[in-house]
Amino acid sequence: MIDPTLLVQMVLGALLGLSVYLPLSGGQLSLATPGFYAIGGYMAALLSTGWPALGGAAPLYPLPSLLLELGLAGALAAAVALAIGGPVLKLRGIYLAIATISLVEILRVLNLNLPFTGGAVGIFAIPQPFSDPAGYLGAALLLLLLVGLLCQRLEGMRFGRAQAAIRDDELAASCMGIDTARVKLTAFVISAVIAALTGVLSAHFLNTWNARQGSFDASITTLAFVVFGGSRSWLGPIAGGLALTAVPELLRPIGDLRLIVYGLVIVVGPVFFPQGLITPELLKGLARWWPWRQREAAP
Amino acid sequence: MDTLLQILFNGLSVGAVYALFALGYTLVFSVLGVINFAQGAVFTLGAYFTYLLIGGAVGANGLLAGLALPFALPFWLALPLAGLAAALVSLLVEAVAFRPLRRRRAEPLLYLITSLGAGVILVNLIQLLMGAEGYSLPADSLGALPVALNLGGAQVRTVQLVLLGVSALVLIGLTLWLEGSRGGKALQAVSEDATTARLLGIDSDGMILLSFAVSGFLAGISGGLVGLSISITGPYFGIGFGLKALGVLVLGGLGSVPGAVLAGLIIGLAEALVPSELSGYKDAVAFAFLFAVLLLRPQGLLGRPQVTKV
Repeated sequence: MIDPTLLVQMVLGALLGLSVYLPLSGGQLSLATPGFYAIGGYMAALLSTGWPALGGAAPLYPLPSLLLELGLAGALAAAVALAIGGPVLKLRGIYLAIATISLVEILRVLNLNLPFTGGAVGIFAIPQPFSDPAGYLGAALLLLLLVGLLCQRLEGMRFGRAQAAIRDDELAASCMGIDTARVKLTAFVISAVIAALTGVLSAHFLNTWNARQGSFDASITTLAFVVFGGSRSWLGPIAGGLALTAVPELLRPIGDLRLIVYGLVIVVGPVFFPQGLITPELLKGLARWWPWRQREAAP
Repeated sequence: MDTLLQILFNGLSVGAVYALFALGYTLVFSVLGVINFAQGAVFTLGAYFTYLLIGGAVGANGLLAGLALPFALPFWLALPLAGLAAALVSLLVEAVAFRPLRRRRAEPLLYLITSLGAGVILVNLIQLLMGAEGYSLPADSLGALPVALNLGGAQVRTVQLVLLGVSALVLIGLTLWLEGSRGGKALQAVSEDATTARLLGIDSDGMILLSFAVSGFLAGISGGLVGLSISITGPYFGIGFGLKALGVLVLGGLGSVPGAVLAGLIIGLAEALVPSELSGYKDAVAFAFLFAVLLLRPQGLLGRPQVTKV
C-alpha cells in the first residue's frame, strides 16, 4: 500500500510537470516553474501565519481562506509573469532557459534575505486546512483534474493549434498570422498560475516553507518530469511527475544509494524512451481499445 | 576595512576562476550545441581530488572514513593532477550521458536531463564516499609562500594572486592551443560545422571527446582553486558555482572566449563591490546582471547575434 503522503507529493509533482509542459508544448523551454511555485508557497505561508483574520488559530484552517490564498497567489504569479513575460519570451532556446533559471535564482536569493521571509529557516507552523493526508490528496487531485481538463481543452482550441505551429516553426507560424508573442505569453502566464497554486497547496501540506523550495535543481527536476513522461501530450508530464516523484521515495529503503539510483534512472530513461513514457503512438494504440471512439471519417 | 585595491584583487581573482570554469562549458557547447549540467559536479570533484592529493584525510562520515592517500603532494603538483582526474571523469560523463543519446540522434533537450542525472550521481557518490561535511585545504598548502603580500600599501592574500596567476596561465595556454595548434584548429572547425569538418578528414568524435576532456580539466582546476581560496563546503558546493559560471558564459556570449573572460571579471568585480551588510544578496548579482543583459543584448556582451536563416 502506498503511503498517502507520498501520493500527495506525486500529484503535486504531476502539477509542476504540467506547469513546465504548457510553455514547452509551444516550443518554449521555460524553467521558471520553481520560482512561481516558491511565490505561491510564500504567499500561503505569509498570509496564513501572519493574518489572524484568516483563521490560522483555528484547529482546522478554514477552506474559504485557502481559496482566498489560491486566488491571491494565482493573481500575483499572473501579474509577475505578465510583467516579465514580454521581454523574456523574446529569447529563444537555451537563452530562454538560462534567463528563467536566473529568475529562479534571483527569487531564491531574495527569499533567503528579505526581512519577512524568515531567512534560511523559512516560515514554519503553517496552519493545516485538512486533518489528514487524504484531505490534501483530494484537494491536489481536484486541482490536477482541473488543470488536466484545461490542458486538454486548450489543445483542441485555436490556442493549442497555434502552440503546435509555433513549436514546429515559429517563423512560419507568425507568417501564417499567428500572434506568436501573445500565444507564448498566454502559455507562460497559465504555467505560472499552475505553479503558484501548487505552491499554496504544498506550503500547507509541508507545514513549513523556505528558500530551498525553489532552486535550480528543481528547475531541471521539473523539466525531467516532462521529458521523462513525454512532451507530446498533457498526460506525459502527469505520468512523469507521478513516477519521478515516487522513485526517490520508494528507494528510501536502500538509504544513501537512493539518489545515485535516481540519477541513473534520469540518465538511462531518455536513452530508452527518447519520446518519454507517453508517446503519441501509445495514445493512438490505446485509443483503438476505447469503446466509445468516434468512427474515423472515410478518406 | 578592505581597501579598494583589496576589493579589486578579490574580484579579479574570483572572476578569473569564473572565466576559467565558464570556458569549460563553452568548449562543449561550441562542439555539441548543448550545455553539460554535470560540469558543476566535475568542479566539485576537482576540489575534492586536490584536497586528497595534497594529503588530506577523509572525515568521519563517508564510507572511506579516516582514509588518506599514502603520499602528500605540493599544491602546484596536486592541482594539475586533480585537473587530469576531473578530465577523466568528464570523459566518463560523456560516455554515460551524451554518447548513447548522440548515437540515437536524440533531441538536444534530453542532454540537459541526462547530464543533470550524471551530476546527481557524482554528487551523491561524493557524499556516500566522503560524507556531507565540508573540507578546507590546510593553510600551509602553498608551502613557504607568505599568507599575504604587501602591494603598494595594501595587504593582498597570496591565495588571490595564485588564483589570478594560475587562471591567467591556463587561459593563455588554452588560447594559444585553440588558435595555434592542429588540435585546437580542428576543434574550432568541428564547432563551426561538424559535417564539413568530417569531410575534411577531421575525426569529429575524437574532437568531442577532446572537448569534454579539456572542459573537465578546466572545471577540475577551477574547483581546486576555489577549494584553496575559500573551502569545500560539501558535495553540493559546485552546483552554485556551476550555475554562476553558466551565467558568466551567457553574459559573455555563448561560444566567445574573450567574452567569457570579460564577463567573468565583470561578475567577480561586481560581487566584490557588494557592501558587506548586503552580502546575502551577493549570489544574486551575477543573475541580475545576466537577466538584464539577456533582455537588452540577447547574444551576450561579445557574442555574435543569432541569425535566423529562412
